[in-house]
Amino acid sequence: MCDGKTNIAKDDNIFLPKEAEVVEAKKMTASETHFILKMRNGDTMKYKPGQIVEAGVLGYGEIPLGFSSSPTQTEKTGTFELVVREVGKVSKALSALKSGDTMTLRGPLGNGFLVDECKGHDVLIVAGGIGLCPMRSMIKYILDNRNDFKRFSLFFGAKSSADQLFPEDLEEWRLSEGIEYLEIVDKSDEKWRGKVGVITQLFKDIEALDASTKVIICGPPVMYKFVIAELERFNIPLENIYVDLERRMKCGVGKCGHCQVNDRYVCMDGPVFRFSDIKNLEEAI
Amino acid sequence: MNVCYISDESFPTFVKSLMKKTPVVAPVAKGPRFIFDELKDINELRLDYTTTVLPPKKIFFPPKQDLLEFDNGKAKGCINPQEKILLGVHPYDIKAISMTDKLFSSNYPDSNYLANRESITIVGSNVQTPYERSFFGSIAQEMELAGHDAFLTKIAGGYVLDALTEKGEKLVAGAELDEASKEQISEAADVNAKAEKSSPKKLEFDADDIKEKMRASFKSKIWDELSEDCFSCGSCNIVCPTCYCFDVQDEWGLGTANGKRYRRWDACQTSEFSQVSVQGGSENFRENRAERYRHRMMRKTAYLNDKLGVPACVGCGRCASACTADIADPVNIITRIMEN
Repeated sequence: MCDGKTNIAKDDNIFLPKEAEVVEAKKMTASETHFILKMRNGDTMKYKPGQIVEAGVLGYGEIPLGFSSSPTQTEKTGTFELVVREVGKVSKALSALKSGDTMTLRGPLGNGFLVDECKGHDVLIVAGGIGLCPMRSMIKYILDNRNDFKRFSLFFGAKSSADQLFPEDLEEWRLSEGIEYLEIVDKSDEKWRGKVGVITQLFKDIEALDASTKVIICGPPVMYKFVIAELERFNIPLENIYVDLERRMKCGVGKCGHCQVNDRYVCMDGPVFRFSDIKNLEEAI
Repeated sequence: MNVCYISDESFPTFVKSLMKKTPVVAPVAKGPRFIFDELKDINELRLDYTTTVLPPKKIFFPPKQDLLEFDNGKAKGCINPQEKILLGVHPYDIKAISMTDKLFSSNYPDSNYLANRESITIVGSNVQTPYERSFFGSIAQEMELAGHDAFLTKIAGGYVLDALTEKGEKLVAGAELDEASKEQISEAADVNAKAEKSSPKKLEFDADDIKEKMRASFKSKIWDELSEDCFSCGSCNIVCPTCYCFDVQDEWGLGTANGKRYRRWDACQTSEFSQVSVQGGSENFRENRAERYRHRMMRKTAYLNDKLGVPACVGCGRCASACTADIADPVNIITRIMEN
């Protein structure tokens, strides 16, 4: 409560961002840019897989983005990564940043993936389209701590092979023994030799999933219901399913109301939710 | 603390002495209604007001508030609190201020709100003329009246002024006011007890029952029916003393490298509020007006009740009168749900 006793330091301003330097900006596709960043004040960004930041450009605004790098990498290199898809005014300004430019950041914000709950279990990650970007923080984390997890599978669906992000990573995962990687595209082209169809078809290719498997889902809103129906077929309890939600966020700290889903704030209580906690929240997915 | 008596004759002199030291924001008439505005002339003060068009939150949480200034890529905050006296705040609005205080100071405290809030001295006053759509006597009753610095009660021949905090004490220091007699203090207590129950509209239900029934009604078709005439204009949000949602935008200055980031009151009833930009268009998580209409009521009666311990509605009646279609009155909505 306001009793006149709170001393507010000027640097406590929740809207005052910190500056990050763009170390490298790589165009991935026609609309996506991959940024490698470091904090200008020399601090190492401390975050958990699945957490988000409000990334911005002064004069344009801020948007919430999930980390696409793993903290295990950031600890070694001091850099972290974000992917921007150009869809609106702010993402366009962010996408125009070049190496040496400044990106403003507030965060990390929210709760990430429940890494500890996944340890000692089979883990399945289901990523659709740009949903691969925040998932990459967890995929890389698991691969860097491979012995902490049992069977590790990744299902990835994209519109076409040209829309597949992080092709170098995908190539590595195709060959890696540490990860069971299955992929599918909506539309085939001359280059594509793999499966064609929707992501749920990948479930037909596996014989079994242990009922204690922890499943993390991130993709376009339409994907969730269908993937969860497949998981129910494998008797995966809803408590073991985590979903990564996307909402418009203005403040990132549970005030502005934009990301509110029933009584939860995606920015603060999420963006990762246990599916059993939100399955009855009509506006969630 | 100090309880003083100020006669009707000396009251203007007292308020003028406050105005000399600090800007005084108080209810004044605007056409047929009232607004909180900086008092320039003591004769404009209308402590007999019904309710104001906008709630007093606008003084410390303005409709548009600068958050950052930037120049050549460097940003700095805009926290710049100005001392003000907010005079004549009705008890229901004091409760609403306590609620926004709590919401802005929990989790990540918002210094942009709190610094302004702390620079304000709040002088409450009893309701003399209850607003026709108000129901403050039957909602948020469990909530203690707190957070104000002094309280002014109109009694026969003058006012009893109760200074409740250090900031409140400062108002009376040096004003050479008479101490209120036991009789005057007792009369003020009677006046306040009556005033608190003077709202003409009434909610007949217990807050916990409301919360339970509202949550249970989530999937009911009644929301389609209730919201049928909604224009999604957001007027109910804008006049609400406990609504605090906002949008954040950047704007460039006249120079090529400078500008501001500001926040502006936003309204969950508008269709854009829950929109997310996605490639090739947008997704809207509360696309139908019934969902948005329901969200406002759920937030007031259930979601924020969980955080505050009371419904986030104080019964001011502003939304009821601001709604063009007259479908926003919480008394009517809650009663329909409870009796459904």
